[in-house]
Amino acid sequence: MKYVLLLVVAAAPLLAHHSFAAEFDSKKPVELKGKLIELEWVNPHAWIHMEVTDASGKVTKWECELGSPNLLMRNGWRRDTLKKGDMIVVSGSQAKDGSNMANARSVTSVDGKRVFNAGSSGDPGTPGALTQ
Amino acid sequence: MRINLSAAALITFLSAPLGAQWFDQPTKGIPRLPDGKPNLTAPTPKTADGKPDLSGIWLGDQWAPAGRRPNPPGGGRGGGGRGGGAPEMLPWAQKVFNERRDTSLRDDPEARCMPQGVPKASTLPYPFEIVNANGKTLILFEMYSLRRQIFTDGRELPKEYAQPSWMGYSVGKWEGDEFVVHTAGVNDQVWNIDLAGHPHSDALHITERYKRVDFGHMDVQVTIDDSKTYTSQWNMPVMRYTLLPDTDLFEFVCEKNVDPQHMVGK
Repeated sequence: MKYVLLLVVAAAPLLAHHSFAAEFDSKKPVELKGKLIELEWVNPHAWIHMEVTDASGKVTKWECELGSPNLLMRNGWRRDTLKKGDMIVVSGSQAKDGSNMANARSVTSVDGKRVFNAGSSGDPGTPGALTQ
Repeated sequence: MRINLSAAALITFLSAPLGAQWFDQPTKGIPRLPDGKPNLTAPTPKTADGKPDLSGIWLGDQWAPAGRRPNPPGGGRGGGGRGGGAPEMLPWAQKVFNERRDTSLRDDPEARCMPQGVPKASTLPYPFEIVNANGKTLILFEMYSLRRQIFTDGRELPKEYAQPSWMGYSVGKWEGDEFVVHTAGVNDQVWNIDLAGHPHSDALHITERYKRVDFGHMDVQVTIDDSKTYTSQWNMPVMRYTLLPDTDLFEFVCEKNVDPQHMVGK
């Protein structure tokens, strides 16, 4: 499957309403390829719910945190930017508690749509990163 | 222990103009360049009484996508927008601060959709709008739809506060080209006064000096005076803001939050 990389590390960084470091581990990067179940368009964070199928055919559900809808809209997203069934790749950081949850840094779609930076916080080096 | 202000890793692969992505609501009456873009370096606008006009939608430089000024010498984008400074704390405050840093600010009530206080609410990656009203200046925050009212009718700060609040009680007056705001009466539910995690007591007195340096840029110097928390008065690094033209504030209700259950800290 060919993924078209149109993704943006946005000009306007998106930050959570909470500490990134308390919840996500920048040392546990994930790249999730799978099918969108729902783009949940709610504050304080929009969420991607997706199913990831591994090589053996096993399906795993993941939840990926985005910025708030307002910030996403200022970066070009709309609530219908992604539709159920869209194949996407989400890059981000996994939750520290080990659950199938990630902070999305970027989202790539396969159909040529423009999809923007999704991250609700930054890894070290990006604005929004709070490091100690 | 430090706050990383580096933006070195921020690379834009595609940068569509922000205005074009909003809902086509050009701000009326603002100076524009021949190509139609807002002229953010035009002179500071004035109100009818000749004072600098602070009104507009502002975003901290460290979050602003375009139009921000070059970094100050030796400083990261936005300087104090991340809060901080290095105040000397009383022992209880230093202990609290260390605990917060050691747990990555896990317990910040903001993560549970509770309001922020002053000046933290002005340091977040969401814009706020300054509105000149009759006898007061309003600051409307997009995040959580909070607002401050700064009384400009000549009243003084109260001696006592029957109802301490998240945003406190604020009075403002002009000193030259600076709008000077004094705030007290902040409640004890405000957890941190900045993103660095600094605590406060009921003795907190905040002084803010707003200066609109040109049409599109504003500086705010914040001084913290809290003798029950800090050994002396201290200044946060100057907060720098860039005007967001051709946009509006949007509603933001913190309606569904699932983060706290996953916030393990270290």
